[in-house]
Amino acid sequence: MHILLIEDDNDAASYLIKGLKESGHVIDRASDGEEGLFMALDSNFDILIVDRMLPKLDGLNLIKKVREDKNDTPIIILSALGEVGERVKGLKHGADDYLAKPFSFSELLARLEALNRRNLPDSSSSLLEVGDLKLNLLSRRVEREGEEIDLQPREFKLLEFLMRRPNQVVTRTMLLEGVWEYHFDPQTNVIDVHISRLRSKIDKPFKGKQMLFTERGAGYALRYNE
Amino acid sequence: MNNPFNLASFRLIFIYTLLLSVSFGFVLMFLYFTSARDIQIEADQKIVNKVEEINRVYLRGREKGLYNYVRGQISRPTLNIYRLYNGNNEFLAGNIPEPTNLKINEDGWVEFTFKMNVNRVEETYYGRGIVVPFENLRLLVGRVVNNEIKLKERFFYSSLWSLLLIIFLGIFGGYILSRNFLKRISDINKTSKNIMDGNLSERLPTTKGKDELNQLSSNLNEMLDKLDSLMTSMREVTDNVAHDLRTPLNRIRSNLEVTLMSNPDIEQYKKSIDEAILETDNLIKTFNSILSISRVESGTSDLERKPINLENLILDLVDLYEPIAEAKNIKLSSEVEKEIFIDGNMNLLSQAIANLLENAINYGSSSDKPFITLGAKKNEESISLWVSDNGEGIKDSDKKKVLNRFVRLDSSRSLKGSGLGLNLVNSAVKFHNGSLKLLDAKPSGLIVLIEIPVS
Repeated sequence: MHILLIEDDNDAASYLIKGLKESGHVIDRASDGEEGLFMALDSNFDILIVDRMLPKLDGLNLIKKVREDKNDTPIIILSALGEVGERVKGLKHGADDYLAKPFSFSELLARLEALNRRNLPDSSSSLLEVGDLKLNLLSRRVEREGEEIDLQPREFKLLEFLMRRPNQVVTRTMLLEGVWEYHFDPQTNVIDVHISRLRSKIDKPFKGKQMLFTERGAGYALRYNE
Repeated sequence: MNNPFNLASFRLIFIYTLLLSVSFGFVLMFLYFTSARDIQIEADQKIVNKVEEINRVYLRGREKGLYNYVRGQISRPTLNIYRLYNGNNEFLAGNIPEPTNLKINEDGWVEFTFKMNVNRVEETYYGRGIVVPFENLRLLVGRVVNNEIKLKERFFYSSLWSLLLIIFLGIFGGYILSRNFLKRISDINKTSKNIMDGNLSERLPTTKGKDELNQLSSNLNEMLDKLDSLMTSMREVTDNVAHDLRTPLNRIRSNLEVTLMSNPDIEQYKKSIDEAILETDNLIKTFNSILSISRVESGTSDLERKPINLENLILDLVDLYEPIAEAKNIKLSSEVEKEIFIDGNMNLLSQAIANLLENAINYGSSSDKPFITLGAKKNEESISLWVSDNGEGIKDSDKKKVLNRFVRLDSSRSLKGSGLGLNLVNSAVKFHNGSLKLLDAKPSGLIVLIEIPVS
């Protein structure tokens, strides 16, 4: 991915650049809002990472101006203001995602990946297919290797969320926000238990390869190889 | 500031007095003019009657008779005035001396003064009359109007004095009232200065009355109380942060330092760094919890309130926690009435109940057949929400303590946790104007009962 990082803190920026390069991305950096706006409008990026508080032009106004220019590059905000209200404000200004500092790097990577995939043309068909796993959104039937799998409504939603992001790392927070719409951190490993339940239904009974993987220190991914 | 004339209250009273005086003045003026006119009309009528009588005298006795009539009036004690002149304007007869200051009004009435000795004292008299013309004679017929003039004057001056009295009483009374008011204000000022100087426990003086000043003082006192409790909780946070975050920070630091000392291989490095990341993640979680608790408690956060369907909220939470409860062989069930709505913050309430569920799952599952019930029902004026378990419960002596920040009971120290869970629940309940009770379940266990008033 070609990413523009707009961040005024040099140390934070250098860690991010190093980490993102390590993960195979190409990074440009702007150190204030005006420079960031200029660069964002001047060339085509896959994603903008915008710090909320920036000198010269703050993050929210920068995003507003980018959107006013009919530029719909996916934008993720990084901010020390982590409340739900602030998050809503950020999304209202035209951002696509909001990550509160301090965040884990894997969380950022997973969200960047999700944003980038969202930009791909999405088939609006009612059938999701990942490998030999099929999920029908209308009949709400799930099958693998042609055999029907009986899922609870929430398990169905969880699987749908994963199947819309095949071969992508999905963090626990993303699952909690996307499937349950909660914006707080549980102190227990609730998500893990849900995943292992789902795994026992879609992986264990089948001879085929494992699909639902745990990504250490990051989250989960539904994987298959062609 | 000590000059009452500068006070708003005094200015108000002054303006009020002025308005009152002006309107009162108008009323008095109206009264004065109407009564003065009535007095005048009455006096004039008497003169007109006299003129008619004189006309009859003339008709009967002609000029001779008229002359005799006037001569007959001389030296008779009367208020009537007669002066007879001939065609050449020469004085013939009359009962008063030569009038002075003669003034003829447009309507034909004549006003004049004259001096006369009564009981050897010369006095000035005021007269009013009409000149009645006959063939060769002219007769001034009139009356002494001293009494009427005196009456009018007395009326005028008494009106003037009462007006002055009103103005004086208004201003003087206003001054006294303002000074009283000022004294109370300056008391408030003095106390405020004291408080600003750091005497934070002092409160403004209040009396038993219910006037505005008293209300102001009570409101300010309430504000001070609120600020005081905020300050206390802020101080607690700072103390707690200092105390309770040092321990994990110290762990991280020693872990990294020791790793460096022991010539480690790459695997050991990885392990240490992983541990450090885990510790920092926990620290971040704790920080976030402290922050959200403080924000909720300070009331400064813009947490939105909207109607929440409690049934949905509870079923969603049961849905989230049921698998982990099942994994620990805990039976998690719900008892919820349908159609319960409260005005509140969805995220905060969900998190609070989630914390209670996690507490019950982590600390309340010591029995053989552990179960947790999450319930909600509607009462007449409130909504009850409860989480109950059949674990060991909490000792009465610990019940008050557990709601505070960073409190972890000895029995739970070995388990993971920040000691902030119940504290957040408590803040969330306060945010919804509710109350939280920790009750004992029979035969054992804990019931956390939340009651939120229906607005």
